[in-house]
Amino acid sequence: MKKTERKAETFEASDTFSRCHPMLNFFYFAVVLIFTMFSQHPLILAVSYAGAVSYGILLNGAGKTLRQSCFFTLPALLIVALLNPMFNHYGVTMLYYIESSGNWVTLEALIYGVVLGTVMFVVIQWFSCYNQVMTSDKFVYLFGRIIPALSLVLSMALRFVPEFLHQLKVIRNGQKGMGRDVSEGNLFRRIRYGLNILSILITWALENAIETSDSMKSRGYGLPERTAFSIYRFTNRDKILGTVMAFLSMIFTVGIAKGAAYASYNPRILLAGFTIQGRTSPVSAGSLLTAATYLCYGLFCFLPVILELTEQIHLKNSRKHAGADIGMTYRRIYEELEQEG
Amino acid sequence: MNIVEICDFCFAYPDSSKRVLDHTKLKIKEGTLNIICGRSGCGKSTLLRHLKSALAPYGKTQGEILYKGKSLAETDHRTQSQEIGFVMQDPDNQIVTDKVWHELAFGLESLGYDSETIRLRVAEMASYFGIHQWFYKNVSELSGGQKQLLNLAAVMAMHPSLLILDEPTSQLDPIAASDFLETVKKINRDIGTTVILTEHRLQEILPYADQVYVMADGRIQMQGTPGEVGAGLHDADKGMFLSMPVPVQIFSAVEGTGECPLTVSQGRKWLGEYVKDHPQIPTDIKKTKAASGLTEPAIQAKDLWFRYEKDSQDVVRDLSLQINKGEFYALVGGNGTGKSTTLSLLSRVNQPYRGRIRLYGRDLRSYKDKELYFGCLGVLPQNPQSIFLKKTVLEDLYSVIGGKKERMSLEYQSQMKKEKAIEGMVSLTKLEGLLERHPYDLSGGEQQRLALAKVLLLRPKILLMDEPTKGMDGEYKEELGKILKKLQSHGMTIFMISHDIEFVAEYADRVGLFFEGNIVTENDVNSFFAGNNFYTTAANRMARQYFPYAITGKDVVACLQNGN
Amino acid sequence: MLTERELDHFLDSFLAIPGEEPASREISSEAEENLEEYQLPTDGLIIRQIEKDGKVGRRTWFALVLMLLIVPALLYLSVRIFHGKKYMISSLIVVFAAMLPFFMVFEGRKPKAREIMVIAVLAALGVAGRAAFFMVPSFKPVAAFVILTGISFGGEAGFLVGCLIMLISNMFMGQGPWTPWQMFSFGIIGFFAGILYKKGILKARKADLCIYGFLSVVLIYGGIMNPASILMAYGHITKESLLAFYISGLPVDLVHAASTVVFLCIMSRPLLTKLERIKAKYGLIQR
Repeated sequence: MKKTERKAETFEASDTFSRCHPMLNFFYFAVVLIFTMFSQHPLILAVSYAGAVSYGILLNGAGKTLRQSCFFTLPALLIVALLNPMFNHYGVTMLYYIESSGNWVTLEALIYGVVLGTVMFVVIQWFSCYNQVMTSDKFVYLFGRIIPALSLVLSMALRFVPEFLHQLKVIRNGQKGMGRDVSEGNLFRRIRYGLNILSILITWALENAIETSDSMKSRGYGLPERTAFSIYRFTNRDKILGTVMAFLSMIFTVGIAKGAAYASYNPRILLAGFTIQGRTSPVSAGSLLTAATYLCYGLFCFLPVILELTEQIHLKNSRKHAGADIGMTYRRIYEELEQEG
Repeated sequence: MNIVEICDFCFAYPDSSKRVLDHTKLKIKEGTLNIICGRSGCGKSTLLRHLKSALAPYGKTQGEILYKGKSLAETDHRTQSQEIGFVMQDPDNQIVTDKVWHELAFGLESLGYDSETIRLRVAEMASYFGIHQWFYKNVSELSGGQKQLLNLAAVMAMHPSLLILDEPTSQLDPIAASDFLETVKKINRDIGTTVILTEHRLQEILPYADQVYVMADGRIQMQGTPGEVGAGLHDADKGMFLSMPVPVQIFSAVEGTGECPLTVSQGRKWLGEYVKDHPQIPTDIKKTKAASGLTEPAIQAKDLWFRYEKDSQDVVRDLSLQINKGEFYALVGGNGTGKSTTLSLLSRVNQPYRGRIRLYGRDLRSYKDKELYFGCLGVLPQNPQSIFLKKTVLEDLYSVIGGKKERMSLEYQSQMKKEKAIEGMVSLTKLEGLLERHPYDLSGGEQQRLALAKVLLLRPKILLMDEPTKGMDGEYKEELGKILKKLQSHGMTIFMISHDIEFVAEYADRVGLFFEGNIVTENDVNSFFAGNNFYTTAANRMARQYFPYAITGKDVVACLQNGN
Repeated sequence: MLTERELDHFLDSFLAIPGEEPASREISSEAEENLEEYQLPTDGLIIRQIEKDGKVGRRTWFALVLMLLIVPALLYLSVRIFHGKKYMISSLIVVFAAMLPFFMVFEGRKPKAREIMVIAVLAALGVAGRAAFFMVPSFKPVAAFVILTGISFGGEAGFLVGCLIMLISNMFMGQGPWTPWQMFSFGIIGFFAGILYKKGILKARKADLCIYGFLSVVLIYGGIMNPASILMAYGHITKESLLAFYISGLPVDLVHAASTVVFLCIMSRPLLTKLERIKAKYGLIQR
């Protein structure tokens, strides 16, 4: 419940990027997630991770983000990384021989495990930002145009969930007042009381929802040519931001397609831009394109943070002016009073 | 011009020969405010639903309904959706989407307006109804009054020319209800929307109506201006009479002459003249009800403190309360002052973090659950639907006492046969003939009585009730009041929290006023209302100059008839 | 109807404190108390099909066929384009594409207000049910709920409700790459329940339902989610890793399946009767 309450507030109290048009929010996360999942080049992943973490810190605060990374995601990463060489035995650099299964643990598999773990890690980090930014109403809006009926179902269901949870509490208290509390008696009784509560809720929900559908019909639902309204407006700032985002993503898409982020771990480790064990990657983009790719990708990943910081600076400046004015006025009044006194 | 004409309309449900509407005739003028009244089950809701094809119940119809001179059946869905707005009883059930702004736009989306138009209309509605402060909120965060206002605004956003309201305030507290009715009046006056309304709380809206229709048995029995209908009530049936405003009730009970008073102020004036004309009426009458004189405590609460969350505000603050054995105690007060929370403390659903409650001299905490709830405390929740479990009334009653098998169980520790117990309880709560129905198919008043029967089957000695009269009309209230009085005469202690001061004045013995987590004042019911200037019944406000201790319409009538 | 005096007498004797202590008379043993709300007909069928034709809607078949066409095509394409790499991304695309036909069919037939309402309510109930039991890991009523929906309202409704429950509850609990997988697996559980019931293979009998519930959770949910988590973690599947994941995931799957069976065993009758009542009362029979 707490989470939903917080989500409701995010409309007013949120960062700059969240206040941009939902289409941009969605586009941003789609691009970032796809490229993170797509690429296995450590540099791309590192940039992506830095962007995700800094945005996470901006949204959720440093404590929560870092705690989450260290205690939940990092162990999972390590497990994934270490398990990979158990299942996979490709690669040329043997490290250790497992006698029981007769297989080698290889450096390549180990490294690849780490990379895969990192991908997972970064994706989860991005998703924690996504959960903050893409609130349910944005989601409903986005799909309201493409799948209107389903997005209406979604919107209705989102309305019902908190109501049902509240009603669940009411019903439980009512049952408690009749001596049928789920925390009383033996397991058998408890299960029965618990299911009775669920059963009462289901009847209540189904019977009362009929009136909801009456209300829909009475307000013209089912007429052809239904439109989808939203309070989101595509402002000029959104247009500029959209163009910038499209431009950036175009450059790094081209760059990556040309091999600026080539990575292969089987059977040898081959990375674009690096020489490992005396080998370079078979394909690589020109150095200018490579530089542009990484620059654009970096900018893209840090875009929300950059936006937020610039807005904060602007706000501070405008406040400074306002504050100075009021301060001046008061000082003048004070001085005049002094003179009179 | 007539916006609606109902010509000899008949209606019966598919498998029933009884006509719910029987040759109903009705003409509604454009731009007027119309009230249809009648006892529960007289067919007024059915009639209203037939004014909009999308909501009309299935069944056999006969006759015709004309909307703007054209048959309603031939008026297409689009026109009807746009021009006929309908607001129903329950504020929660009508809301479709999860956001306030989306709800306002819902109807306009269906009609296919473009975003710019919808933006304008939504902004217009939000400003007119004062919704802009909670425009971005989730609907689940709104209060009942706000929800109903949102429903009204969502309908008005489509700019209807006819607005139909089916008991829109029955689920609201008095203040939210009068705000809502005020808005309806304003819409009628400012915008000229034709309004058809059914209502329990006629007190506030009746004086402003252009036409009042009284319905009984599916027919319009009487129609006219409010004054005419009020004056003509002598021979109307009783159920109708009970839902009229108190001045009208008093006026027709003593068969007054002259213009029928509709408001409290008119009533006061009329009463003054009446007393002047009848100098033999004694005006120095003291209390009409004697104080109960019961002093043996059933529940004693001392210095209770309670809050829901660790860092939230105290909801109950330093509350002390004593309820005596065999008395009917009512707790009144505004919304959100902590009344329901107090009830949850007394019923041990929640526990105070400081202070102590004693039940028959024993600490409440020391009771075992089965001791407490099976045979001692009965708790009737606010919404009766929240305790309905089975698919028929009879099965539901049996489910409380552990099934049909004749045996003692935790829940049922009486020597009486279960069948007998149920028969008696059904008779007490007047549920005969409804036993095979689904609980949700009952009317509001019947549902409340079923819930009461369920609670009583656990043989409580103390009955705790949370707003038992919510959403009920005058007749159902009277029935409930009689049942409660009967229980009281058999030694049951009754504790009730309520917004309904008319009901409290009529049936309770002692009243406490709850404010900010505490009881500010308590007294026997006559002294309580006689002592308050604002927080008192309409009858008392009307008659207090002459009979300060008369607090119900019946009291006033009794005083007036004393002289004859 | 009792007279006034009989009523007085009744109340006096009913409310009176029992003469003897209740403990002296036998208090029923609790084990024999039944959990059932309704009487069971002799053949064990909880509900009967209203139309005996056993037909599955054309649109439902259409969605299934479309799905069966799209998925292999996409798989082939992903192999061609990505040369058997990038499993994760291509599998996500495939999952989305597999759900798409169902969504499109639903949109295409312009559902009525009542259908929309029923699906929304059932989805919200599923989410509330999932939230109510969130203390107990993998003890969730969702699968049972989806199966019963599929039986009562048809495969399409079952699919949509399954999808929506997962989508919405993840909106509250946090989205992740696992969302589409969960959506798809619960959707397909509900879909098959609907189709098998319509075809008469799955009967609305308690034992049948429990068996289907158990198998669907272990085979369908486990069968989709285990490879999915390998994909999410490693990006590609090998035989060993698949085996390892299945074995390590089995206890969790079994708890989940067992909870589904418990829920189906207890809730199937009351819930199906409730759904049937709503259908009958408001004319919601699927065409």
